[in-house]
Amino acid sequence: MENELLFQLGINWKLFLSQAINFFILLVVLTFFVYKPLIKVIKERNQKIKTGLDKAEEATARLKEIDNIGKEKIKEAEQKGIEMIKETENRAKILDKENIEKLEKKQKEAQELLKKSILKQQEEAKNKVLTEAGELIKKVIIKTVELKPEAIDEALIKKAVLEVKDEK
Amino acid sequence: MEEISLKAQQIFSIGSFGVTNGLFLTLIASLILIIFSLYFKSKIKMIPGKLQGAVEMGAESLLNLMESTLGSMAAAEKYFPLIATIFIFILTSNLLGILPGVGSLSFGETPLLRSPAADLNFTLAFAVISVIVTNIIGMASVGAFKHLGKYFNFKGPIDFFIGMLELISEFAKIISLSFRLFGNVFAGEVLLTIIFFLAPYFIPLPFLFLEIFVGAIQAFIFAMITLVSISLHTAANEH
Repeated sequence: MENELLFQLGINWKLFLSQAINFFILLVVLTFFVYKPLIKVIKERNQKIKTGLDKAEEATARLKEIDNIGKEKIKEAEQKGIEMIKETENRAKILDKENIEKLEKKQKEAQELLKKSILKQQEEAKNKVLTEAGELIKKVIIKTVELKPEAIDEALIKKAVLEVKDEK
Repeated sequence: MEEISLKAQQIFSIGSFGVTNGLFLTLIASLILIIFSLYFKSKIKMIPGKLQGAVEMGAESLLNLMESTLGSMAAAEKYFPLIATIFIFILTSNLLGILPGVGSLSFGETPLLRSPAADLNFTLAFAVISVIVTNIIGMASVGAFKHLGKYFNFKGPIDFFIGMLELISEFAKIISLSFRLFGNVFAGEVLLTIIFFLAPYFIPLPFLFLEIFVGAIQAFIFAMITLVSISLHTAANEH
């Protein structure tokens, strides 16, 4: 009775078994040739995409950081430059003052020296003139004594002077 | 009008093993799938082409569906081969069964090809595999004793009765799965035969579309019922 029903429905254990085996063969083939490689590739790709996105994020963050650092450095450099310029200006001012004072001092010294030397020269010249004049007068007196004292007049004196001059 | 046979007919025999027209088309379907998978394997690349993109889309949507049913991606990937193979194999068989020539090409007196799911051996094999494998998965994931304890529960008369009901429902599942698929596909074949006999041109077209739809839906239902029973058997330890 049961076998009759199964026969009517076409159920045959050999066919049944072959269908089952067929299914398992297909299951194995599809698993190893399609599902596993496919899932692997999908996972790998997802991983790659993820790392790529992460890296991009990191890169933008780094870029921002670097930008900030650069800005700070520029600010620092500007401030340093300004400070340096101020310092050099101050120094220059101080140096200028010192130099000017020194110069003035030197000038004064030089002027004094000049004055002194002029005075000395003048004195020397005076002394020379005085000694020369004294000698001249001496010689003139000697000449006048040699000449006749009576003929002391101006012409003679002139002559004497002339002579003295000529001798000289 | 051709004679409509409830069972697959033998077309030739290898030794004592009679090859039926239903088995013949099943073998063709498997051959097509095996050749496709060998071809596809060599074409898998990091950057997908059109074919790989399409296959990936299907695989990912099935994976997502399984993830939402099973609760985790790891479980979805673990049971993916079984569910996907059931779906793909039944779908391919059903679609091949609608092709022109199936049922009309003759080998002697009998039709050479027959839609595989219009042979009870095919659907019964799938149903038995589905039920046995899901139970094995249940045993593997919650423990053999705990799993069998669902069917043989001696804590009390009510529990025992519920356990027996569960056990019977597993056998009922075999029958419902196999006869649902068989009935749909066989009915479709009968319907198409009759329609083609009554009006050979244009009129059968909507029925062909209907059969394509039914074939896909039945493949999907079979896979989903298997998926749900996996989910039931593996999640049993949670409550």
